[in-house]
Order: sequence, then structure tokens, then C-alpha cells
Amino acid sequence: MGNLTESEVIIGVPGPDRTIQDSVNEASKSALKIAVGHLNFHYGPRQVLFDISLEIPDRKITALIGPSGCGKSTFLRTLNRMHETVNGTRAEGEVLLDGQDIFAIDVVRLRRRVGMVFQKSNPFPKSIFENVAYGLKINRMANRSAIAEIVEKSLRRAALWDEVKDHLHKSAYSLSGGQQQRLCIARALAVDPEVLLLDEPCSALDPVATAKIEDLLLDLVSSCTIVIVTHNMQQAARVADYTGFFLLGKLIEFNKTDVIFKNPAQKETEDYITGRFG
Amino acid sequence: MGATAAEIRSAPIPAASGRVLRRRLFDYFGWGLCALAFLLLSSAMIWILVVVFLRGFSALTWNVMTHVTEGTGGGLLNAIEGTVVLAFGGILLACPPGLAAGIYLAEFDRGRLAPVIRFLSDVLVGVPSIVIGYFGYVTMVVALGWKFSVAAGSVALAIISLPYICRTTEMSLRQVPRPLREAAYALGAGDGRVTMGICVPSALPGILTGILLALAISVGETAPLIYTAGWSSYLWTGHLTNEPVGYLTYAIWAFITEPFSSAHALAYAAAFFVTFFVLVISIVARAVLDENAGWRRLRSWERRKA
Repeated sequence: MGNLTESEVIIGVPGPDRTIQDSVNEASKSALKIAVGHLNFHYGPRQVLFDISLEIPDRKITALIGPSGCGKSTFLRTLNRMHETVNGTRAEGEVLLDGQDIFAIDVVRLRRRVGMVFQKSNPFPKSIFENVAYGLKINRMANRSAIAEIVEKSLRRAALWDEVKDHLHKSAYSLSGGQQQRLCIARALAVDPEVLLLDEPCSALDPVATAKIEDLLLDLVSSCTIVIVTHNMQQAARVADYTGFFLLGKLIEFNKTDVIFKNPAQKETEDYITGRFG
Repeated sequence: MGATAAEIRSAPIPAASGRVLRRRLFDYFGWGLCALAFLLLSSAMIWILVVVFLRGFSALTWNVMTHVTEGTGGGLLNAIEGTVVLAFGGILLACPPGLAAGIYLAEFDRGRLAPVIRFLSDVLVGVPSIVIGYFGYVTMVVALGWKFSVAAGSVALAIISLPYICRTTEMSLRQVPRPLREAAYALGAGDGRVTMGICVPSALPGILTGILLALAISVGETAPLIYTAGWSSYLWTGHLTNEPVGYLTYAIWAFITEPFSSAHALAYAAAFFVTFFVLVISIVARAVLDENAGWRRLRSWERRKA
């Protein structure tokens, strides 16, 4: 590894064709999807995020790492205003999605554009089909026949179709944990979000199910921007193009993943990466 | 330290020392007390059931179920009919406000109103049912001029059912896991859709149990009906006001003190019916609350839809 130049050092990215794809993407479209400026977050009287500024690139995987309670999940939930479902929360600062202030646009439209997958799989007590169709139905995004098509497409994108195509009308709870999590991803994909937020999506899964989800993310990133919170540094190293390190409510460092893991600028980042704490 | 699993398994069980023996004795003593408490409680219940069922069975004849009361004899058809009408009338009246209040308390309690409603509901549970009967008499029977009637009796039972329905609805909605709500919010669902489309269906077994519990209480109530429904030896002709109606608990209350064996038989039979109804409702409620039963229901429903 030592004789590679810095531009060639790419951790956990499969194949050289991806780098070509990257450069094509970077050249052809604006590289910026979400811009966060001076974000402060209060939970009642307690401030949990301090002056976070961060630019999330389009159609890339951005990982947020840090020890428990560092505010990375809170930050993630601010990006589609999920914090507003909890009483007593207050977010100040600027979050721009394609240059639009997310606090100024309708929250329903925002959440349709910015989907979310949670730590524990949380399918509705409905059939597999109904779970994926839910977002389409409540947003009146498609008619009956189109819904069936989109459900199939979403399940395929979530790499679950082959496992469930013969029992779409069984309860979602009949699936295994890993399948349920992929179902939740399919459900989020059905409304065709531009951004997918994932809050520790693999923390309850075994390594095989985790690998499936990681492969899935690497496939999905060609069509949508992914932000993933993870406790697992290897996971960040494997899948992410960019990585941000949070500590005690502050963003310590944000950079390309290989820079964060190979050559971090901050001592705290290095200490955390090398396992000296956390 | 270095013992292998096989060594540990084959090691001899040490003989009971004094301390072990004491611990075992104390253990037996504790279990003995538990068994005693269980016997004491269950024997009272079993005694009641045995008396009600034995006497009820011997008083049960085809006549009792097919004829109306004549004086202190005859049958209980009028009372069975009246109990069913009054109990269901009460539940029908109590459900809309009870469910609405429960949903409000669980899902939209950001205002100052929620603690007030919760307090009033708790007070209502504590009000003696005879006070509600007296209230119904003064307001509906006399002031509104409804006389003894199905309407007055149903409203009185509705007042008694209301807090049970309200609080069980609130409690079962609160048990809906937060991640389920978040999943719906994250897909762009609004408050109303999350509540009615996700939370209420998930909480349905609990809500139904509350309604059944209220129904069981209504079937067993006497005091609020004496002052509002009155008593009638005839079948109900369908008038909501100005027509008194019979019900089973009245037959128990009034006939057990009469000096005629025919009246006693009616009282025993009525007690049997009331106990039987309440028992059946409780068993149904248990089955509904059983989560697995709930899930099986949901799955078969989905299969039918598909």
C-alpha cells in the first residue's frame, strides 16, 4: 500500500470502474446535495449539537461515526426534520437541500425526498406488499397497477424480491431480522427519495445480513445520496466515500474516508480511529 | 480453574450442608405461603361460582328463557332482553366519546387539557354507581321527562363505561412502539394518518378489550339502572323513552328477598345468566388481548384480502 499515491488509496471501494464513475458524476452534476451551516440543536434545556457545518456530496455515501451520545443520530434526524416528532426539541441554523431551506418547505414533501431507515427494523403490522406500498398510498403517488410495479421495483432494488415474491401478502413479521431491515429500505425507496438516511441500520444484524445491506448501499448510491450513521468503523471504511467524526456534539473532522482513516488531521479522530477511546 | 466441562458435569453433588438445608426449608416455607394465599383467594371465587352455578342450574328451565316474568314467577326473557339492550346501548353511546378522548389523551396531549380530562376520568371511575343512578334519575327521568326508560338506563351505563373505554384506549395507544410511528412519519404521513392508519390498528386488541371490559361491567350493574330503567315484566316494545324495561340484576336484587320459592328460583337463574355473560365476555376479552390471537386474526384477514 505504501507505494500508492494518495489519489489511488481508496478503502473499501470495489473495483477501479467506480473511480471512473465517480469522476464522471463529479464532472457532470453539482457535487453538493445537502449543505448544513452552523446547526445548533437543543433538547429542552440541553444543547446536543454545537455549530455543525457540513457539506454532503450528491450520490455518494457519507458515514457519520463517533461514540454513543455524540449527537450523530440527532444530526441525521434533523436532515428530514424527524426531530420535530419529539416534544421539546429545537434546531437552529441552516440546512439546505439542493439549495432550498428544509425548514421552509413542507415537511411531508421533505420526508418524501429524504427517506429514512432506522436502527431497529420497524415494519408496519401489515403485509410485505402493504409495507412497501404505504408511502405511495399515503402520498397518492401512483394508481393501483403502478403501485404493484413500483413495489416490485423497490423490492428488487432492496435485493429482497427473490426471497419474498411468492408471499407478498404474508405479514412482514414473518421475515427474518435482516429481511425486515431490507424491507424497511424497500419501503423507503418506494417513494423514490433523493436522499436516504440510515441510522445504524446494521446494529441488530449478523455479519451476513450486514454484508448484504452494505452491498445494497453500494448499488443504491448510483441513484441516490446516502448518509449512514454507524458505530462500526470498519463499516464506514468499507462503504463510505466521505466520513464525518462527531464527538460530544461537535463535528471534529469531515473528509474523504481514506483521509479520515489514514491521515486524520485531528488528534481526537486519530485516537478514536485507533481505538484509544470510544 | 482448569476444570473441563466434562469434569464439572461428573463432579459429585456436594451433600446438603446446614446452610443449604436452611435455605431449602425457607424456600418451601415461602412457597407454602404463596400456595395458601392462592387457595384463600381462589376458594372464595370458586365458592361463589359453585353456588351461583349449582343453584342457577337447578332453577334453569326452558320456561325461564322463553317466558316473561309474571309477578314473582314466570320467566326472565324480558330481563335477558333488557340487559342486552341496555348494555349494548350504553356501549354504543360510550364508544364515540370514549375512543375520541382516549386517542386525544395518547396522541395529541400537547395542550393543558389532557391532565384535566385524565383527572375527570379517574374521578368518574371512583364515583359510586348509585350516585350516577341518582344523577340519571334527577336529570333524565324527571327533568327531561324521559321517565324510566331504555334511553335513561343506557345513558347511565354509558357514563359508567366511559372512563374504562377512555383509559384503556389511551393505554393501548401508548404501548404502540415509537419506531412504528417514526417509520410512518419518515414516509411523509401526517399526525392523523399515523394515528388512524398505524397506531389505532396496532392498538386494536387492547382497545377492544377495554370495550369488552366496559360491557361486562354494564351487564353486572344494578344501582344506576334501578333509578333510570325501572323494571318491567313485559318485553320491550322499542320505545326509547317513557317505557320501563327489565334487566337481570334487578331480578336478583328484588326476588332474592321475596318469601316465595319461585322468586328465589328466578333470582338464582338471573345470577347464573349475569355470571355466565360476564364470564363469556372476559374469556373473549382475554382471547382478543392475546397478541398471538390478534396477529393470527390480522394475517388471516390479509390473506383473505389478497
